[in-house]
Amino acid sequence: MAAYIVRRLAWVIVLLFVITLITFTIFTVLPAADPAALRAGRQPSPELIESIRQQFGLDDPKPIQFLRYIQDILPFDNDGVNFGFSFQSNTEVLPQILDRLPATIFLTAGAVILWLCIAIPIGTISAVRTGSLLDRVTMGLALIAISAPVYFLGLVALFLFDEDIGRFPLLPGSGAYQDADGFFGKAGALIMPWCVLAAAFAAIYARFLRGNLIDTMQEDYIRTARAKGLSERTVILRHGVRSAITPIITLLGLDIGILLGGAILTETVFNIQGIGRFAYDAIVRFDLPVIQGTVLFGAFFIVMMSLIVDILYAFIDPRVRY
Amino acid sequence: MSTGAGASDLLHAEDSGLDEIVRGDQAVAARSPLQLFWRRFRRDRVAMAALVFIVVLILVAAFAGPVSRLLGAPDPNAQSTEALDDFGLPSGPSSDHLFGVDTIGRDVFARVLYGAQVSLAVAFIGTGLSVFFGVILGLIAGFYRSWIDTIIARSLDIMLAFPVLLLGLGLATACSGADGCAGGLLQPGLPIVIFIIVLANTPYVARIIRGQVLSLREKEFVEASRSLGAGNFRIMFRDILPNLVAPIIVYATLFIPANILLEAALSFLGVGVQPPRASWGKMLSDAISIFNDAWWFMMFPGLALLLTVLAFNLVGDGLQDALNPKGTKSR
Amino acid sequence: MRRSVQWTLILGVLLALSFGVAACGGDDDSDSGEQGTTAGTPAEGKKGGKLTALWAGDTDNIDPGITYYQMGTQIIRATQATLYSPKIDDAAVNEPQLAESDPQVAEDGCTVTVKIKEGWKFSPPVDRVVTTKDIKYAIERGFFSNVNNGYAGPYFGGLDGAKVGADPGTKIPGIETPDDTTIVFNLKPAEGQDKCAGGILAQALVMPLAAPVPEEYASKFDKGTNSTYGQNQVSTGPYMIENDTAGKAIGYEAGRRIHLVRNPNWDESLDNRPAYVDEIEVQQGNDDATVMARKILEGQSLITGDQPPPPAILKRALTDQKDQIALVPGGSGRWISLNTTVKPFDDLNVRKAVSAGMDRDALRLTRGGEAIGDIATHYLPPGLAGYEEAGAAEGFGLDFMANPKGDKALMAEYFKKAGFSSGKYEGSEKLLMVGDNEGVGAKTAEVAAEQLRGMGFNIELRQVTHDAMYNKFCNRPPSNTAICPNVGWIKDFSDPQTYLDPTFNGENIIQTNNVNWPELDVPEINQAMNDAKLLTDPAERAEAWAEIDRMVSEQAPTVNWIWDKDVSLQSSNVLGVIDEANGIWDWAHTSLK
Repeated sequence: MAAYIVRRLAWVIVLLFVITLITFTIFTVLPAADPAALRAGRQPSPELIESIRQQFGLDDPKPIQFLRYIQDILPFDNDGVNFGFSFQSNTEVLPQILDRLPATIFLTAGAVILWLCIAIPIGTISAVRTGSLLDRVTMGLALIAISAPVYFLGLVALFLFDEDIGRFPLLPGSGAYQDADGFFGKAGALIMPWCVLAAAFAAIYARFLRGNLIDTMQEDYIRTARAKGLSERTVILRHGVRSAITPIITLLGLDIGILLGGAILTETVFNIQGIGRFAYDAIVRFDLPVIQGTVLFGAFFIVMMSLIVDILYAFIDPRVRY
Repeated sequence: MSTGAGASDLLHAEDSGLDEIVRGDQAVAARSPLQLFWRRFRRDRVAMAALVFIVVLILVAAFAGPVSRLLGAPDPNAQSTEALDDFGLPSGPSSDHLFGVDTIGRDVFARVLYGAQVSLAVAFIGTGLSVFFGVILGLIAGFYRSWIDTIIARSLDIMLAFPVLLLGLGLATACSGADGCAGGLLQPGLPIVIFIIVLANTPYVARIIRGQVLSLREKEFVEASRSLGAGNFRIMFRDILPNLVAPIIVYATLFIPANILLEAALSFLGVGVQPPRASWGKMLSDAISIFNDAWWFMMFPGLALLLTVLAFNLVGDGLQDALNPKGTKSR
Repeated sequence: MRRSVQWTLILGVLLALSFGVAACGGDDDSDSGEQGTTAGTPAEGKKGGKLTALWAGDTDNIDPGITYYQMGTQIIRATQATLYSPKIDDAAVNEPQLAESDPQVAEDGCTVTVKIKEGWKFSPPVDRVVTTKDIKYAIERGFFSNVNNGYAGPYFGGLDGAKVGADPGTKIPGIETPDDTTIVFNLKPAEGQDKCAGGILAQALVMPLAAPVPEEYASKFDKGTNSTYGQNQVSTGPYMIENDTAGKAIGYEAGRRIHLVRNPNWDESLDNRPAYVDEIEVQQGNDDATVMARKILEGQSLITGDQPPPPAILKRALTDQKDQIALVPGGSGRWISLNTTVKPFDDLNVRKAVSAGMDRDALRLTRGGEAIGDIATHYLPPGLAGYEEAGAAEGFGLDFMANPKGDKALMAEYFKKAGFSSGKYEGSEKLLMVGDNEGVGAKTAEVAAEQLRGMGFNIELRQVTHDAMYNKFCNRPPSNTAICPNVGWIKDFSDPQTYLDPTFNGENIIQTNNVNWPELDVPEINQAMNDAKLLTDPAERAEAWAEIDRMVSEQAPTVNWIWDKDVSLQSSNVLGVIDEANGIWDWAHTSLK
């Protein structure tokens, strides 16, 4: 087991290195704009551009630039881990990412809890009462939720329920997160984003659980449990749901990883200053160090979550061997 | 994928009852699997209705010009300042403009009709290419195993670890130059959008196909073929590939709605199709700044997008049900 | 999308900073009377309170030696003392701030002498009296390779011994400080001339670069590849960025907030600013213009910053909340640039036809209609010296700029003159047009493209990010971009040279970062500009540049469609004062009711 984890961690490092290299290559070989010119103001002389290029180290050979970036990520040189300096604000990238991380984590965590709270009961009941009115209605709604783009759902939610501009003013809307204070204030501001973000996921998870549970309930050991005279309720909850829910962990790991890298669209619609918005803004402004930092963070979350999932599996499911 | 939900959507498919059929238990039956699909599928009325909707949509997209003229809509690119007020604010639905106008006075109805072209083109071309490359990679990796498999599988892992939307945004921005990129092959607009879709989907397709090839290659019919002297190439394409047709079709229907959403998301973020071409995602993004005052500009393209994706999802569900003999129907 | 890019860079070139100039004096900023909203007329305000500005993005740079754009200038006007400052309610007039009196410019423009006030102090932790050596260092560091100020070259580059990209610590021998209150700028003559560009340098002393920087404190931050003085700056204005005892500007969190508190060392009796409020906070990340505008209109003690309200809010405010909205000429204009080196725009008659036929009113509707600016009749905009001399709103009476709605008959006439008998353009070659991909810029580009198609041109419109538009296309002559629909210019300060020379002087065409977008290269115009640059008398300068405006306008190098107004909002309890030179609220003059 320990050897397996070490091997996987080594692969994680290789993976992150390759991703850094690819990101670096894409953005330096195919630059959307010259960062020096962006920084130089509106009537820069060639001398000024040249001086800024040297200041940013843009004239150095590409491998040197890459090496320098790697040094910024690793704690081995004297200026520590800072992920480089933003071309735009001339400040260190890492503190800015860390500054935006809580918003993204809060958004993700709340949405995950919400969608699990919706999906597990609905999935279970639908599976038990297959074909009932409840099953058909919830599964129909689920399909609609899956089909709705999150930004459209978000706009409609704002249009209807935003406390400032909505037709039925109920909830804090766009931009409320950063004005809100304290845990409950922030949580209140996120109610609408949570619901919108969780809608599609709740639907997917409910459908998934339902399908799994229906299959599980036809397994032999369920029949055995029933034969032992256990109540139907116990059979479903203790045996059925428990094993049907295990594969959900894989899904959950992946989805959390992706969302932690930034829910760009949700953050855009609700004007939440998270990692996703930060990355998007950096791309628009061609702020290379920030783009690299955010892509690396996003990849890190995806890779780490899938590692955690695999390790969890080893504990949950004794059949998995390494 | 675009909504962030795509990953689970596809894994979901991987774990469904579909796998057993696909693994070849029935695939080599005497009757064509395609005929079996169709029989079961026809009985699903909701899925059939969705299929009809898609066919109509394809017709509308193909004949957008005549259709919109027939319905009395103006040209989708015609700008009418008369439909704007003194502050440049657009006017809502009226007899002149069924769905109102957008912020520069263009007819929203006509643009929603024309927007179907982009969504469908992306859906079919993008998905088709992803499936093509995914199947080839998956076949090679699954069939040869050894170091080839290791390289391909590891590369797929890397691709899957990328935040797709960020990478897509970056690529699209980077390729916005006069000559596009990759020597002019990748022009801004639809080509780059399709490229990003292929990049995002191929690893998923390849992984699924690889898994199935791994089990198919151990089947007796492969051994039989090999003992008859068939070469690798022949086995891959003549023996294994036909057995993958059914799952490929089903997965493709799962990818199509995800890809429509991805295109809309890219357009929404400003790196999608180029003007004056209408795209639902772009319309939604333009509507953001004004949705509270011009609800029509947000609502109609949004609903068009929702209905189209829903229709593809329903057809996809129907196909899966038709494939699943155990009858755990999705609806 | 309206977001992110609507921060400072959305207008990029357009929303640069702006100032008033013209040597003038007087200390009459405390008069009052009119309401302080639609004009920058100062009103007597109440002391105290906290003012909060809602911004979408961040300032371009917090360092006074680097910042070049509107938001940076707004901060500088509160936190620093520059030698001169534009008069708050008259952008065309300049008055001494740190300086004691008007600058003395030698007849030949080769020396400029300035005396500064005695007893002006730096904020903690420096706490000492400002001397002219601090100004010398401030300008010198603008040339450092780790500071790389964007306008040091154009306006201060004539100083003897000044070199862009100099090593940190390099002295400029051309700046002399005979005593602690006198500074002398020695310029070298322009090539082949015996005159120097001291006239423009004297006027550029309103720029943030002319705010003192204490060398003994700053030099340790001006080391390495990136200066960190901005994050450790000291101030000389009524306010300072909140700092710790070591001087670190803890009140600045990039992309989040800027917190200004009173500078304890500020002496009210020396300054020309009243500084009513006690505290100013900038909240960044207000990407949603609608939400931001509503918060301000309905809230308390709030003002706008880098993001104008969207048309729907503009309409509401102008109908119901007139005293909460301010509209002032921004000293800027917007153009659809036609590349004179690309066929068919090398033909003057084709360019005139395009100008004549363009419905500029439709273009203006994309930004919010009549309220947001007047249709231009020539280049120099209102609020800039030379505007009156160029005929003000009437202009030069050019027929192809006469009709805001477009004149199709006149257009046909010009097309016929160009040899197209149908009265429309008849060529079929593809013309590359590159515009913004989001925000109002994208709308403008699409409207312009559709109109050009209507004139018979085969337009290929490509929409890219704002930065890519400039960097890869419009600012790069080799890209052969035929039409740039989203360009424009804003004065640096109230001298017409800052408006016309970078943009239409053929000698300024360069292969990258070119801002003479039409690539207009007419020898007579170039010569007239080079002569006008060396004039030292502001009145003569205005006359000369107005004449240049006429020469350029007659060439129809762009479709010149609007002189912008800057739109600002305030809460009902704010008595806002607009800095007319900068076009937005001036924090050091604004008070709470």
